[in-house]
Amino acid sequence: MATAVAHLELDRPRCEGHGLCEEASPHLMHLDDDGELILDVTDIPEAELEAAKTAVRVCPVAALKLARA
Amino acid sequence: MSVRPGPAAPRGADGVASAAEHGTPRRIVIVGHGIAGLTAGDTLRAEGFDGELVVVGQEWHAPYSRPALSKAMLSDPTATGPEPEAQALAAPSDGARVLAGRSAVRLDPTARTVHLDDGTALDYDELVIASGARPRRFTDSPDELTLRTLDDARALRRRLVGRPEVTVIGGGPLGMEVASAARESGCDVTLLQRGVPMQRHVGAFLGGMCTAAARERGVRVVDATVTAVRPSPAGGLRLELSDGTVLAAGTVVTAIGDEANVEWLAGSGLLSDGRLLTDERGVVAPGIVAAGDVAWRRTGAGLRRRSLWTDAIEQARAAALALLHGPDAAPADYAPYFWTEQFGLNVRICGEVPAGVTPTVVDGDLAEPRALLQWEGPAQGGAAAAVNFRISVPRLRRLARPAAVPA
Repeated sequence: MATAVAHLELDRPRCEGHGLCEEASPHLMHLDDDGELILDVTDIPEAELEAAKTAVRVCPVAALKLARA
Repeated sequence: MSVRPGPAAPRGADGVASAAEHGTPRRIVIVGHGIAGLTAGDTLRAEGFDGELVVVGQEWHAPYSRPALSKAMLSDPTATGPEPEAQALAAPSDGARVLAGRSAVRLDPTARTVHLDDGTALDYDELVIASGARPRRFTDSPDELTLRTLDDARALRRRLVGRPEVTVIGGGPLGMEVASAARESGCDVTLLQRGVPMQRHVGAFLGGMCTAAARERGVRVVDATVTAVRPSPAGGLRLELSDGTVLAAGTVVTAIGDEANVEWLAGSGLLSDGRLLTDERGVVAPGIVAAGDVAWRRTGAGLRRRSLWTDAIEQARAAALALLHGPDAAPADYAPYFWTEQFGLNVRICGEVPAGVTPTVVDGDLAEPRALLQWEGPAQGGAAAAVNFRISVPRLRRLARPAAVPA
């Protein structure tokens, strides 16, 4: 298990379910059948850091945040 | 926004010879710090660029989301504070040196120098042009408002609080969102648009639906073309319509599109008929790429300039890759996506709605209204829309391009 370098957090009330994050990084998160965002990975290892940053960046309502692990 | 040193040792002053002339690292300058500029910076770093990154940005604010400005924020009574939370974006992680509150005024591509309005001459090895666009307007009057920046949104919000009579010129997504927020704030609202509002953006069916919702909520929708707006001697503004009618208006919000910020490129040799053209990767010239609202991009369907969030992101990514990897980089290839919130309708739409085609209801019920709609289009794909229906962009894209996905 790779060491987490960051923690991915979701501000659920802000999330509007566009799913641009899923499109950018589908291995980290997905929208379920009700359009609710599910984070599949929250402890982000070094190898996934750029993918996580990209997902955070595309969110037009800034519902995702990366915190230091 | 603070000026942070990049990973390379910061230079004592701007305008010194570019780093490449002294060996590594090379310097990439990004003009513009909207979502296109931010994405370009992120992508360059993600792809391993470890040279110096300098970002020139007109505004002082920390990164924020423009789509949010005309939606939640305009109706949010708490949104007049100094840095409203609702549209704040993640801080750039690219370690760029940010020159905020400054604009580029001239480009010399031979010397590879960007000249800024404070006199700085900024040398670059490679350049990303993401200088955006500005709203078109009729006058300089403070009674004619437009909406693009956070400051614009605050000024408009402050106006709406006083519940003035509002005349909105333009029935695209922005004009309709402003009209919706103004009604919600208790204003008397007139919206002027030639033809059916929203039709050009979402087709006749959804355009009709949005317009009906606007009327139901009390907006006076008038089929008219505004030819001129002038300050009135009696105060306020006079709107002249193409049929000769003259309207008096106290507060006007003009939402008739934008103009690319390319004046600083005049004389650079990069413009064709006043337009900045790029290929499908965003390449303008060797070592120069462009992305976002400033650029006219060659596509299979001709030259396109679309001021959309996702366009800016996709183009900026492709442009950054093209800068680093040249012709090996993949061109941007995507169906447009945008969303609008107006008059109780939350509409998300992917693809380009084909003219004259009525959509099929794939799921839900238009009477609620909560529905998923699909338009059959030409071979390269049709369009799909979600009305008050939560669905992810990847699923909406599959609906818009059913042929592209094997069953």
